[in-house]
Amino acid sequence: MADDIRLPAMDEDTRPFWEYARAGELRMQRCLDCGHVRWPPGPQCPMCWSTDSEWARLSGRGRVQGWVTYRRRYLEAFEPPYVVAAIRLEEGPTYQAGLVDPDRIVKGMPVESWFERVDEEVQLPMFRPADR
Amino acid sequence: MAGPLRNATAIVGVGLTAYGRFPERSVLSMAGEAIRGAVADAGLAKEQVDGLFVNIGYPLGADYDMVCERLGLRVRYAMQSWSHGRFVGACLQAAAMAVAAGLADYVAVVCSVKYSQLVQLGGKERPDAFRVGGGPHGEAPHYGLTAPGSGAAMSASTYLARYGATEEQLGDVPIAMRRHAERNPRAMLREPLGLDDYLASRYIIEPLRRPDFSLVSDGACCLIVTSAERAADAPSPAVHLAGMQGIRSGPDEFVWARPGLGAQQQPEETFVPSAWDLAVYDYADIARDDIDAFYTYDAFSPLVWYALERFGFCGEGEAPAFCADGGIAPGGRLPVNTNGGLLAEAYLMGWNHLAEMVFQLRGTAGERQLADSRLLQWGSCYGDSLILAKER
Repeated sequence: MADDIRLPAMDEDTRPFWEYARAGELRMQRCLDCGHVRWPPGPQCPMCWSTDSEWARLSGRGRVQGWVTYRRRYLEAFEPPYVVAAIRLEEGPTYQAGLVDPDRIVKGMPVESWFERVDEEVQLPMFRPADR
Repeated sequence: MAGPLRNATAIVGVGLTAYGRFPERSVLSMAGEAIRGAVADAGLAKEQVDGLFVNIGYPLGADYDMVCERLGLRVRYAMQSWSHGRFVGACLQAAAMAVAAGLADYVAVVCSVKYSQLVQLGGKERPDAFRVGGGPHGEAPHYGLTAPGSGAAMSASTYLARYGATEEQLGDVPIAMRRHAERNPRAMLREPLGLDDYLASRYIIEPLRRPDFSLVSDGACCLIVTSAERAADAPSPAVHLAGMQGIRSGPDEFVWARPGLGAQQQPEETFVPSAWDLAVYDYADIARDDIDAFYTYDAFSPLVWYALERFGFCGEGEAPAFCADGGIAPGGRLPVNTNGGLLAEAYLMGWNHLAEMVFQLRGTAGERQLADSRLLQWGSCYGDSLILAKER
C-alpha cells in the first residue's frame, strides 16, 4: 500500500479523471455546447453553464507555465529536491504535476505526459521534457 | 460615485495581545485579553457590545458561541468566517454592514489564533489541503505540492519568467518589511535583513526562501466597529471606514495572483486594472494618489507585487522596480505594511495590519508614525480593499 498522500481524494465529479488515468488515459471534460475544456472537474461548464460534457482524450502535450522545486521536506512520501510544474495543456487547462528529468526549466518549454503507477488502484499523470 | 456606506461606520477600539509563540495560552484567553482591551480602549462597558464577528473559529480559533459563553458577551448579532486568513477585509466590511443595517450598535471583530499548535503547515495534519480537487491555495499533495506557499511559489516562477524579474528583486519585499519591523516593538522579527542575508537564506519552495514566508504566530486582535455618530463620542479619534470592496473570485482569479498573470487556470494576458479592480477609490470618493500608505496580505513576498499591480500603484510587471531602493520601506514612495507585515511583525492574518492602520490614523504609531497619515488603504492580491480615513 502506497502512502495515502499519493492517493488523490476523489468525489463524484473527479473520480472519472482518476479512473481514466488508471487506464493510462489523460481525459478532461469538454463542454458539448461551447467546446471549453475544463479543469478541475466540475458539474457544469464555467464558461457557458452547460451541463453536457464528454471526457475528451487529451494529447498529453503542453508547455511549462510555472514550476517549483521543493527544498524542504513536508511529506514522508516526497524526498526533496523534487519539481512540480504547472503545465498549460494544448487544449487549454493548466494541470499541476510532477516534472521529471528536467535539465533546465524555462517557461514555455514543451513537455509530454506519462503515467506513474502508485499502486494497483492509482496511476498519476506526470510530465517530462518533450523530444521536440 | 461615493459608496452608500462611505464614512457611515468607524473603528473606535483596538485590543491586542503580544505576538509570539505562546504554548501556555489558550485561544480563548488571548481572545478575552484582546476583547477586554478593545472595549476599554473604546470607553465602553461590556454590556454595550451587542455584536460579534469571529475570524477565525475552530480548529485554529474559538467559535463564536464559545467566545460569548466563556468570555461573557451577550450579543444580538454573531457571525464567523471560514478558517483562512483571507477574510480580514471582508469580515470588517460585514461588521460595518451589520452596524449600518441596525443589527448591532457595537460589533467586536475578533481574531485569536494559535498557529504554533500546528506541527508543520503543509504537513499531513492540515487536512483541507488534501480535499478533493486540490487545496485552497493550489495544493496537489499527491504530487508533493503542499503548503499554502506552494501556490505563491508557483505563481512567482511565472511572474519572474514572464517579466524578467530577479530573485534579488523579490528580496526587496521581505527586506522592506524587516525595516518597518525594526521600528516596531511588537514585531517578532526585528533583526535587520540585508540582501546578502536574503540570498544566503535557504530555499523552502524554490523560488521562495525562508524570509519570503510568513511568520507562524500566536496572538489576538479585537476591533470595535460602530456608527460614525456614536464614534464621535469615543475617547480616541474615530477611524472611519471610507471605502470598501469585496474579495474578487471567478474562473479568471487565483487567490495568490492578480488577474492576467496566468497562474492556475487564469489566462495569461495583459493586465490593466479596470473599474472592477479599482471600485474602492470611487466608493471612498478619493484618488489613488491620496493614499498615504498601503497595507496588504503579505503571507508570501510575491503577493505584495501582485497587490501593488492590482490596485495600479504601478504597471503590469513593474512592481519589482517600484519596490526597489526602499520604495515600500519606511520613507519610501509608498510605505507598505508599516507594522512589518505578516513577514516580520506577526501572522495575525492582517488584523495586525488593521490595528496598525488605526494607530497610524490616530497618530499613536510611535517611531513608525507616518508624516502624513490621513487616508490608508488595505488591499489584497485577491482583490478586497478597505480605505480608512482620519476625517469623515
